[in-house]
Amino acid sequence: MNNKKEITISPTTRIEGHGKVTIVLDESGNVSDAYFYATEIRGFDYFLKGMEADRLPFIISRICGVCSTAHVLASVKAIENIYDVEITETARKLRELLLMGQIINNHSLVIFFLTLPDFWFSPEENPSKRNIFQIMRENPEIGKKAIILRNFGTQLIDLIGKREVHVVSVVPGGLINPLKERERTELLKLSKEAFAVAKEAVSLGKELFEKNWSDFKKAGDYRTCYMALTREDSLEFYDGTALVINPEGKILSTFNSQDYMQNIEEKIFEWTYAKFAYLKKLGWPDGVVQVGPNARMNVADKISTEFASRELVEFKRKFGHLVHSTLLFDYARLIDLLYACERAGELLMDESLTRSDIRVKVEPNGGLGIGLVEAPRGTLAHEYALNKDGLLTGMRLIIPTQVNNAAINLNLKDAAMEFIRHGEVKEGLLNRIEMVVRAYDPCIKCATRSVGEKLKVEIRNTEGKLMKIL
Amino acid sequence: MKVSIVSLTCCAGCVSSFLNAGEALLEILSGDFDIVYSPTFIDLKEVPEVDLAIVEGGVRTEADEKLIREVRAKCRILLALGICATHGGITSLGNITSVKSFLEQEYSVLDVGKLPELKDLMYPICNFVDVDYYIPGCPPMPMLIVHSLKSIMSGKPPIRHRTVVCTECRRKIIPAKLKRLHGIYEKDADPQICLVSQGFMCLGSLTREGCGAPCPRAGFTCFGCRGPADSLLYRSRDIYAFLVKVTSARTGISEDEVRKELYRNPFLFHTFIFSRFERFKARERII
Repeated sequence: MNNKKEITISPTTRIEGHGKVTIVLDESGNVSDAYFYATEIRGFDYFLKGMEADRLPFIISRICGVCSTAHVLASVKAIENIYDVEITETARKLRELLLMGQIINNHSLVIFFLTLPDFWFSPEENPSKRNIFQIMRENPEIGKKAIILRNFGTQLIDLIGKREVHVVSVVPGGLINPLKERERTELLKLSKEAFAVAKEAVSLGKELFEKNWSDFKKAGDYRTCYMALTREDSLEFYDGTALVINPEGKILSTFNSQDYMQNIEEKIFEWTYAKFAYLKKLGWPDGVVQVGPNARMNVADKISTEFASRELVEFKRKFGHLVHSTLLFDYARLIDLLYACERAGELLMDESLTRSDIRVKVEPNGGLGIGLVEAPRGTLAHEYALNKDGLLTGMRLIIPTQVNNAAINLNLKDAAMEFIRHGEVKEGLLNRIEMVVRAYDPCIKCATRSVGEKLKVEIRNTEGKLMKIL
Repeated sequence: MKVSIVSLTCCAGCVSSFLNAGEALLEILSGDFDIVYSPTFIDLKEVPEVDLAIVEGGVRTEADEKLIREVRAKCRILLALGICATHGGITSLGNITSVKSFLEQEYSVLDVGKLPELKDLMYPICNFVDVDYYIPGCPPMPMLIVHSLKSIMSGKPPIRHRTVVCTECRRKIIPAKLKRLHGIYEKDADPQICLVSQGFMCLGSLTREGCGAPCPRAGFTCFGCRGPADSLLYRSRDIYAFLVKVTSARTGISEDEVRKELYRNPFLFHTFIFSRFERFKARERII
């Protein structure tokens, strides 16, 4: 007789893309396994073969409309690597500013629109009310602040990248449009306002976190390796060295962008369209590694800007030098946001930003190259192989959600075991499980770029019989 | 009005673009615009009955088809947002190859029984359901979305954009005498003169207006993300021949030479519309 059961949550809500969670229960109703899967695929790696390198950056950005700018930057960096070209200092600054715009744009979305409702309301709140629109109805100020932040990110991307989503101005060799003085002053004004709001967001986040922390810390704290870009031990997004630490915080390896692919391997499981990336050196499953906000805080010893640096010190004091708790992603993301606002303000103060030396001539070339940036969800790598005519012959992308895929699944199981016992499942409990997935802000669009993805949770018995779909 | 926002196979850029509308977004949300279903923002797991369903993304899996049919049955007005929903979008480039060979190469161990089955091609949603309004674009500009939604909220059809991007681009068209066409990264573009007159393959002359021409204005060629304009929607009009004529006239390069160049660049003008259309009733409904 079969008393096993499977629980499905489908689609997983308040994340980007389509996903699904399945929790398998044993005879006594306890969790024996849990899966988070991507149910879509698009095939970018496959159908872009033969594409001209010229057109790659703006087409590849269509992998993800939420973090498109990060994809464009990784893409041009990979091509520049093949063409062997150094961009000018002005172009580098503008691109870093553009990436800060991306971080602000994305994090303001994730923090306010996706995860805030979990902290604002209790997880047991009526699901039809548990969303940003309800918060805005109750407290319109929150909505305004979310929009001020998001708008600053959008304006940075629009004025430098020339479109709000899927930017066009970034090309191999630099950028095609200099920043005008009028635009710089305008952005500088917006940056001050946004920085003030970011500080408020951090205080609000900390307050809500204090209130809920005792509940949250149990939800998934699987110990893994961590990876992020750093520059001289500081947090860095645009141009750094990849640094990997083990679960004890010891440095495992450091490598520059060109060695990235030699350090990372991918694995496929038969139940999901999203691939799993892990550290080659340690193999599977010891090489499970996490990227993203927690990893950035774990890997970086310091932050170069004043306020974010203070928050990092406080974060490490409260939770330790190395954090494993999944829901701390939400806290760490606030520090990212504060840093991005501060760094953007710093860059905008620089009058040389409006110089016109933004583009160097490139000589198309064949070969293999890798572009690495720290995207909102973690380290993002694009590797291209071009032939001598500049046509794409092969491509390998390692997307943050792929790297986190293993950790998401492990922490999901961890949390499910914590919250489901003896087959008793309440809506509020399942939302707590979804919160673990949500904390990673997984972008299934990116991880399954290979068409569109969906996330679901199913409740099933151990024979696999479906009991309930949420 | 009750609104649902549904994502099929896409990159989520269209909803991102809507959220980039800033103050105008707050204005919409504070009006008669009650978002009751949206897996991206709201925890409700079942599709409810609504007045307006905003759909981004096209149909790539069987699950997409099932969802879009359910959404259509439960809404009064259906708005297809973005070129994936209206024309198949960038994912339809995957139609150049068979799904089977793709899966065999990339995912040899995949247990398809556990995942939604892929359709043979990526389709726009109009192949399966009636669409009331189409807003193409990759993604459509925030203000275009906002203006259209405001019209729909007040019970009026949104303003249509019928002609081509050139009407919104301030560059000056001059008949040039060039020897050959250029890649966009080959040389710096003059800020005043039409990009085609400078030898770049800009698609503004066949692409629908309504975006404000941000790309050509910035010195980057239009790559057709709003799909073909009204005049090119007739079957008899050959987009390819039209582009050859325009390019030859503006650059002074012979039509034969231009044609050769276009053949060399297979993705050029159907980057976003490489799909099969059935029941495409867009002519009166495209925004």
